[in-house]
Amino acid sequence: MMKLCAILILFVFTTPSWGKELEAFPDLQLNDAQGLKEATRVLEEELKLAARPQTYVLIDLVGSTIQIKGRGIGLHQIPIIRWSGESRNELKGIHKLVARPSVVRRKIDPGAAGEQEPISLADMPTDYVLSCSPSMTIAVVPSTAGENLLRGAAILGTSWWHHVQHWASSLFTDTPSTPTPHLQLTIAVDQAQSLAWALVDGMAIVIRRPTDK
Amino acid sequence: MGRLLLATSAGILLLFLVVSALTTTHIAPDHTPALHPSPVQDHASLRPLQDRYKVLSKQLSQLTPSQPYIVVDTARNRLYVKHQEKVMLDAIASTGSGVILDKPGEGNSQWVFDTPRGEFLVKTKLTNPTWIKPDWAFIEEGLAVPQNAAERAEQGVLGDYALGFGKGYFIHGTLYTRLLGKNVTHGCIRLNDSDLKGVYKLARVGTPIMIF
Repeated sequence: MMKLCAILILFVFTTPSWGKELEAFPDLQLNDAQGLKEATRVLEEELKLAARPQTYVLIDLVGSTIQIKGRGIGLHQIPIIRWSGESRNELKGIHKLVARPSVVRRKIDPGAAGEQEPISLADMPTDYVLSCSPSMTIAVVPSTAGENLLRGAAILGTSWWHHVQHWASSLFTDTPSTPTPHLQLTIAVDQAQSLAWALVDGMAIVIRRPTDK
Repeated sequence: MGRLLLATSAGILLLFLVVSALTTTHIAPDHTPALHPSPVQDHASLRPLQDRYKVLSKQLSQLTPSQPYIVVDTARNRLYVKHQEKVMLDAIASTGSGVILDKPGEGNSQWVFDTPRGEFLVKTKLTNPTWIKPDWAFIEEGLAVPQNAAERAEQGVLGDYALGFGKGYFIHGTLYTRLLGKNVTHGCIRLNDSDLKGVYKLARVGTPIMIF
């Protein structure tokens, strides 16, 4: 009996206590070298952000989520329905939000009878572009049930415009221009409004990219 | 001839659009090829990568406050007190209305009644707090700002407790419990009496407050 107890105690104290719950990315395959490198890169960047008193955004293109985080804690999570992107190499690093959609705020009329209608999620835009520094744009596109032709044409148009801008820029400059990294995220309509609400000027954004095939 | 030219141009444009779209990557989560594992890696070569990943994961988890912390969701007007992943208190709240008020005589200067976002710390804990009304509280009512400081004090409107987190912002009580769940405040976070007492007991000076 004593031997059994000793063996059990030895087992408890020598069994690795590190489990899935401590993993930053539970979906990561630990035998995938490229995935490990990418996850490690993201963690190194996230640690810099999480060490400071601020909230930040993690766009996880592997896990298909957008997370508002603080101190490494997930505060709010938004599922990504689909995404498309170019210049994936430039998506790494910490980006800062420099321009986001404006919101029309109502103004109080001093002394007027009745209260001013407060702002709410319904006032937030559903379709917008975020500009970041270093140069990167993120288009947020709402999904609609049975995406119609008009939405499909808009998506094609956005991609086409991006190519036109790059082509036009290369025409008028001597140095070959690199296209602005661009990411397009399709999320649910209410989630697009939720994201617009959560974003603030200067907010840091980190992106976890899928590994190349 | 003109019609032929127009049709040809439209066709070329459409072809260009299609080619552009095909060059981008669209991935839907339902058939996402997940991570494409590299060819079988030698365990020895993977080990340093795995160890580094584990170390960093652990470092990130260690940044989570070891004591209870407060999370405020201003879009949905909820306040949570959490410890690690466990929710100790889930409260309905009222947060900033987002409306603006011009500052008289100051050109384009305005008050914007938002609840600030980011991470803050509980700086003060008060019992039976007295509201010292700021200038905007008079201006929005169309009243003159009093010269006498005593005329700014108002008792009994902030509830039994208040927790300050800097720049004049507080978590406090309210007489207007019917408005809880809505964005109606001037930036402070309002709770009902019961939840406010719970937060006051669970939080201490230095407790993190994460607001998004």
